[in-house]
Amino acid sequence: MADIGRLPAGVQDIYGAECAHLQRLRAVLTQLFERGGYAPVKTAALEYYDTYARIGNAVPQERMFKLSDTDGKLLVLRPDVTLAISRLAATKLPAGGARLYYFADKWDLREAGGIWGREVYQAGVERLGEEGAFSDAQTVAFAIECLQAAGLKNFIVDIGHVGFFKGLLQECGLNGDEAEEVRSYVNGKDSFGAERALRKAGAAADAVNAVLMLPTLFGGAEVLERAQSVTQNEFARSALAYLKEVYALLSDMGYAEYLRFDLGAVKSLSYYSGVIFSGLVEKLGAPVLSGGRYDRLADDFGKNIPAVGFALGLKRILTALERQGGLPAPQEAEITIVCERGAEGRAYREYLRLTGEGKRVCLSAVYGKEGERAAKGRVVTIGKEKL
Amino acid sequence: MITFALSKGRLGEECASLLERAGVDVSALKEDTRRLVLESADKRYGFFLVKPADVPVYVEQGVADLGVVGKDTLLEEDRQLYELLDLKIGACRLCIAGYPDRGAQDRKPLLRVATKYVKTAKRVFAERGEEAEIIPLHGSIELAPVTGLSDVIFDVVQTGSTLEANGLAVLEEVFPVSARLVANKVSLKLKSREILPLVENLREALL
Repeated sequence: MADIGRLPAGVQDIYGAECAHLQRLRAVLTQLFERGGYAPVKTAALEYYDTYARIGNAVPQERMFKLSDTDGKLLVLRPDVTLAISRLAATKLPAGGARLYYFADKWDLREAGGIWGREVYQAGVERLGEEGAFSDAQTVAFAIECLQAAGLKNFIVDIGHVGFFKGLLQECGLNGDEAEEVRSYVNGKDSFGAERALRKAGAAADAVNAVLMLPTLFGGAEVLERAQSVTQNEFARSALAYLKEVYALLSDMGYAEYLRFDLGAVKSLSYYSGVIFSGLVEKLGAPVLSGGRYDRLADDFGKNIPAVGFALGLKRILTALERQGGLPAPQEAEITIVCERGAEGRAYREYLRLTGEGKRVCLSAVYGKEGERAAKGRVVTIGKEKL
Repeated sequence: MITFALSKGRLGEECASLLERAGVDVSALKEDTRRLVLESADKRYGFFLVKPADVPVYVEQGVADLGVVGKDTLLEEDRQLYELLDLKIGACRLCIAGYPDRGAQDRKPLLRVATKYVKTAKRVFAERGEEAEIIPLHGSIELAPVTGLSDVIFDVVQTGSTLEANGLAVLEEVFPVSARLVANKVSLKLKSREILPLVENLREALL
């Protein structure tokens, strides 16, 4: 069967009410980003494969949509917005940092279905050239502002720190592959798998016991106290102290009620370097927001740029709003102007006057009674001027 | 309310009695009904009855908060889930099986492997650096070597009696399998007050 007029799996056209909701969400977030001092940025959708494949934080090649250029070089559709902005910052932006925001698609070559799309529309911010707990706390606070502004109810922001896991791992003496295997078990809260992998790698019993505590170290701020007794490792303890500082700052900002902690959340060992966080909403099985600190990300592009940021999944936010009953009915025209033949100019001037007042107006292209029958909202009929 | 995705059949029955020991009202599960959505009388628990391979899907998508599913299915589906407990029920082994006299040692240029665990089989053979032609089947996997469709099979083995009856034997045990309690990543955090005590009760029921 020919595929004319059809779409491949995992992508979608957005139209009607859904598109109106998306547009409204964009407008709300844009205003928040602009007022928060972030500048817009738009990177190219097509990039060289090498930019994403031949770096320390490579995107797995099986997850990238590839095309070939006229010279035979391999191209990809932007697989990660943060990496794209990191590349931009390292190669084009002046030193000294920047606060940027974006609305952008990323493409993810995967089996599509349900919450997993292949063309993922994201909004996000990146704070480049910033370090420290106050910067991280501000970023988490801004993430909460975004979720509030979007109209979401019953959400939490779940915070972790990859340093805690890295510290515990130091005590185990694992190689890169073993560490990655343990990370994926811990991230999946699979103590059974983690224990097997650690024993196979020959880690010491104390170190193993500490790592096996990780899948239970999640919940409210009391987690940070519980974690204290798990390890003497300096690196892990300093990560914990840092998280406490971030928590204190966010509490002072008035956001304590939104915060949860998960020291067993370890999304990636190389991409993230410090605090990581996810926005979780009732009635949606996957995060609507994901972010963290990635101080080493620009290394691959030849610059040292500490950075922190997050991305919002706009489709997921709309789905969550829909399930929470928080989507307003789409707005139709308030006034329809219908005119007689010969009164077009007057009708158009009336249209300009009303839209100038901020009204939503439809100037009908159908004349007279027929136009009035199809009209929406209040109908204004403009006749020929009587002499 | 906590919602469970559970599979029907023997694993489902063992699972129901385990949940009962952990204090869950499972009387709805014991009724003989064709309904696929059930609720406990106290409305604290909901149950969806689905095919085993679909349990990880329901839980990953957050339609069900918790699920009980075999490790073999989890390996094959490779979903974003929390794996909270080994429930120790439905124990079996993922094995490579074939004719003991010929077997996997009889190196052909390309070993033909019949299986319903296509992705897992690909991974297992790729990790060993062995080339294998994977032949996807849906059932009666043992028939494949008997009829010459494949050299070996990659499948779960419980007692080994089906293998034996067809002149086959386990050549290698690859992975021990049992049922796991899995959780949706968001549910565990947002419903932790309901889910964590249940996990603790299950852990105790297992002792």
